[in-house]
Amino acid sequence: MTESNPILEVNNLFASTDDLPILKGVSITVYPGEIHAIMGRNGCGKSTLSKIIAGHPSYNITEGEINFSGKNVNSLEPEERAQSGIFLGFQYPIEIPGVSNLEFLRVSTNARRKFLKKEELDTFDFEDLVKEKLELVKMDSAFLSRSVNQGFSGGEKKRNEILQMALLEPKIAILDETDSGLDIDALRIVASGIKKIANNKTGIILITHYQRLLDEIKPDYVHVMSDGQIIKTGGSDLALELEKNGYEWTDNFVKEK
Amino acid sequence: MEIIERIKTNKLFSNPTEIQKLCLKKLQSNPLPNLKSELWRLSNKSKFSNFLDFSLNGNSTNFEFPYQNNSKNIIRLIIGENSPTNINNEDYSINELNNEELIAYIKKNLSSFDQNENWSELLNLCLSFEQNILGLRIQGTKIPPLEILSHASNDYINAKTLILIVEKNCNLDLLQINLGTENSSLSHSTYLCLEENSFVNHGMVAYGEKKSNLLNSLNVIQQQNSEYNLGTLHFKFNYARFEIRIKQSSGNARTNIKGMQITKNDEQIATYTKIEFNGPNGFLDQINKSLADDKSHAIFEGSIIVPKIAQKTDASQLSRNLLLSNHAQIDTKPQLEIIADDVKCKHGATISQLNEEELFYMRSRGLTLAEASKLQLGSFFKEIISFIPVPKGRWDLLNKLLKQD
Repeated sequence: MTESNPILEVNNLFASTDDLPILKGVSITVYPGEIHAIMGRNGCGKSTLSKIIAGHPSYNITEGEINFSGKNVNSLEPEERAQSGIFLGFQYPIEIPGVSNLEFLRVSTNARRKFLKKEELDTFDFEDLVKEKLELVKMDSAFLSRSVNQGFSGGEKKRNEILQMALLEPKIAILDETDSGLDIDALRIVASGIKKIANNKTGIILITHYQRLLDEIKPDYVHVMSDGQIIKTGGSDLALELEKNGYEWTDNFVKEK
Repeated sequence: MEIIERIKTNKLFSNPTEIQKLCLKKLQSNPLPNLKSELWRLSNKSKFSNFLDFSLNGNSTNFEFPYQNNSKNIIRLIIGENSPTNINNEDYSINELNNEELIAYIKKNLSSFDQNENWSELLNLCLSFEQNILGLRIQGTKIPPLEILSHASNDYINAKTLILIVEKNCNLDLLQINLGTENSSLSHSTYLCLEENSFVNHGMVAYGEKKSNLLNSLNVIQQQNSEYNLGTLHFKFNYARFEIRIKQSSGNARTNIKGMQITKNDEQIATYTKIEFNGPNGFLDQINKSLADDKSHAIFEGSIIVPKIAQKTDASQLSRNLLLSNHAQIDTKPQLEIIADDVKCKHGATISQLNEEELFYMRSRGLTLAEASKLQLGSFFKEIISFIPVPKGRWDLLNKLLKQD
């Protein structure tokens, strides 16, 4: 796995918002085909890390670097990162009243296709593509005619995120608590969708609190985050240990460190 | 203020009409509105003064509708440029009001005009030449959509007046387009009477060019069981003031209003509305949106008046505003004046900026900031645009707004 070049390298990343330090030296490297899981208490910086990788303008990188496909992307705009293949699946997908889901998906897909030097899709061709991808997450085409995420249930919003991932074909997908708010059946549908999209060229980072997603999608690496740092990295067994012992168990790692 | 000086010194016309004489008489002793009053205090004084700083022009230059007429089933009129044809057929008739009817109608309105509150109408009637007053009586069913254009001329002030009497049981789609030109002022007044059981979908689209000014007033009387839908859009004016006065003369009528004003650069556009219920069981649903960018100023003041006679009134007024710049200004004041004790009335106002999280969400999917902002603005505009009775295929207003610089 490690013979090819990494898709994503986060090196000693420090970041803050409103002068409040949140990330305090995070490092993580993802190679093609790898699935990483990041776990940790609420407020430890997991979601912030995902937003900073995606380029959220509210956060400042004070030290360290994010390299994507070998290039430093610290100063790239969010759309430039997205177009080049970084995808963030939101913990709380945003509702955008009045903006048609279908049109939003089409414009997003074409922005990515343009970067990939692929032909942009007109409305008719796009409808064919999106209908094919809808199957992956078992979504009804009626969702396409509604406003983006408006009136969607929690599960429908998460499925819409995975639908976007399927359309954008990212090189790295960071899925922030994609399992939260899902019932067992919806979790299986979402997990199955992610597995079908993942391939040996894609890297995936799953941010989660629960083992149940990792039962469906087995990670190659599990990282434990605490107070803006990754304090332990292990294999998939680490998640089982966490499930068994809780996060109090990880406090010892902080002390050890 | 050239116009005011001429009114004061009685040098406006050599041969005024009867209506002009009546209005001049009302204005001469007190030719300006009280700029400190609630209705005028937010008006930019220098812009208002600029509005009046043109010579009066009663003649019209050739002017085209801003979009093609691709349907034969539409009646198009340009105030001051073509005489409407009297149309009488099996299903409907559209006939010009004769001079006596026009004078009688205007006199009836004039008697209740207040110098300050109705100053815009008084000025309009004072400045409107006979050829620029169009009065129509409409009756019947299956009436084709009616499109009426008014426009200004460069370097002049023009006044245009429209009077429409929609008779009992009529069903009408009406689109008014008021266009400003570079360095011009347009005074426009519309009087609309909806008789019993009539239904009118009314669109009012007004936009200008560089340094255009507009004073636009709309007076509507709704008789019982009438329904009036009004969609309005004002943009690209150095100074524009839109005054809506609607009276449900004996209640039991429905009014729906969706209006929007967009200001940029240092423009000022204001909307004042006064909705009166003069009987029970009236209904109103009103939303007004403002969008202010750069150093511009948007104003909305709305009042709903529910006297004791107007029991069981159901009225709602919402003002939604979007500030796109730290230097732009929005003033909004929705008001209720309720005497009746058995009513359902609500009002509200919000002022916000483009939603940062929505923008980031869209950008994280590859849309540029400009594309994401455009989508957000499009969704803000859409609710209003879709209420204006002109199909997208004929005139893509949304696209026009999103493309304007």
